[in-house]
Amino acid sequence: MSLLKIIDLHKYFRENHVLKGINMEIKKGEVVVVIGPSGSGKSTLLRCINRLEEPDKGKIIIDGEIEITHPKADLNKIRQRIGMVFQQFNLFPHLTALQNITLAPIKVKKMPRDEAEALGMELLAKVGLADKAHEYPHQLSGGQQQRVAIARALAMNPEIMLFDEVTSALDPELVKEVLDVMKQLARDGMTMLVVTHEMGFAREVGDRIVFMDEGVIVEEGKPEKIFTDPQNERTRKFLSMIL
Amino acid sequence: MAGISQFDPQLFVKILPSLAYGAYITVKLTSISILLGLILGTILGMGRISKNPLFFSISTSYVEFIRGTPLLVQIMIVYYGLPAIGLNLPAEPAGILALTLNSGAYIAEIIRAGIQSVPKGQMEAARSLGMTYLQSMRYVIFPQAFRNVLPALGNEFIALLKDSSLLSVIAIAELTRVGKQIYSTTFNAWTPLLGVALFYLMMTLPLSRLVNYAQRRIGGHELA
Ligand SMILES: Nc1ncnc2c1ncn2[C@@H]1O[C@H](COP(=O)(O)OP(=O)(O)OP(=O)(O)O)[C@@H](O)[C@H]1O
Ligand SMILES: [Mg+2]
Repeated sequence: MSLLKIIDLHKYFRENHVLKGINMEIKKGEVVVVIGPSGSGKSTLLRCINRLEEPDKGKIIIDGEIEITHPKADLNKIRQRIGMVFQQFNLFPHLTALQNITLAPIKVKKMPRDEAEALGMELLAKVGLADKAHEYPHQLSGGQQQRVAIARALAMNPEIMLFDEVTSALDPELVKEVLDVMKQLARDGMTMLVVTHEMGFAREVGDRIVFMDEGVIVEEGKPEKIFTDPQNERTRKFLSMIL
Repeated sequence: MAGISQFDPQLFVKILPSLAYGAYITVKLTSISILLGLILGTILGMGRISKNPLFFSISTSYVEFIRGTPLLVQIMIVYYGLPAIGLNLPAEPAGILALTLNSGAYIAEIIRAGIQSVPKGQMEAARSLGMTYLQSMRYVIFPQAFRNVLPALGNEFIALLKDSSLLSVIAIAELTRVGKQIYSTTFNAWTPLLGVALFYLMMTLPLSRLVNYAQRRIGGHELA
């Protein structure tokens, strides 16, 4: 059974038809990498999944039972099950790294502070930043901030993690440390939906590659297949441009 | 009556305690009003960016009404108008109410600007963690917004402190009123009024310094 199921998803921004009937299934533990040109709707797709954007048509179902797109869906509950990491990190600048991580567990899950802090320290260690617990975001490098952001999302113990070009805003020498954390996460069995331009990562970690263009999924398949023998002309063109 | 426009040092020393007490009343009324105004302004400020049309239009109309009418008129409406509908307030509470209603509208615009100064990604990150709108506001947006608008709030406090002199028309013994009373009993204008002005300056100057300092600190700090 699939952990996440997207059925005929449509999204408009006014006249602009941005998602034109997306169908997708993600199994538990699967790492799906979404690639595609700028403006093809990758971010919009991710943002519809935790309803930061309101889809106009279609269904998204998590765990085979809970309909994310239902008008009466309990979004605050659902969002706890879906972690999201942003291109711009979006760490809370007035809180330390540790406080960034513990805020939601304490306020949303009503976790006792000491328990939340123990969890926070454990997650900081996991992303290699145990010594930065009490630093503020502006005292950290971009790569470190993004790793804190990953830890913050993990603190809610989500079933699936969404990554939206999380290394695009980083200096090249900081990309690897973030990708390494994501690789480890994948190895640990996390279900992941990753939008990225890092084709090396897509190839190495992705169980499946999805190529999107102009609001539709043009082609999908195993990384070896997509990267070495793409079937669609548009996929070939895109790959020849970026590889 | 030769001394009518002369500064009288002896009188000045004599009236200092009265002026100081008037200044105390001024600071007291202004402080209470700004704190209550902060609560009102925070609610109205959220209304000014609310997607709820009712909340939005009530907040907007209120802010427009207050900002479009003189404070003196508002004070008189509260003091002379409210009794007509059965609400009889003594002068000081009426004065506090008027200043609160007034500053609430100005603070609303400050708070709105403060909320809008926080990048959109902050709210999205908070919501994506499962926090409600109000939790996100309280723990993520407001602390940043408040910090950003601290200088503006300080300026609002200074403005209100000066504007509170209008409360003298409803017989509240704040600083200006005290000065006027001394003038009307001694027939010496210069001494009490100069004293009044000096007392206002002694309050506003350090405050503006503080605001400038806060502005520099916030400007020099990395927020995003
Ligand atoms: N909030 C918005 N309002 C209006 N139009 C939007 C909004 N967000 C995205 N769009 C439009 O939707 C389309 C898809 O945008 P989206 O950000 O999903 O693309 P993307 O594949 O993530 O691109 P990129 O690789 O540049 O991040 C674009 O045409 C974009 O201009
Ligand atoms: Mg994008």
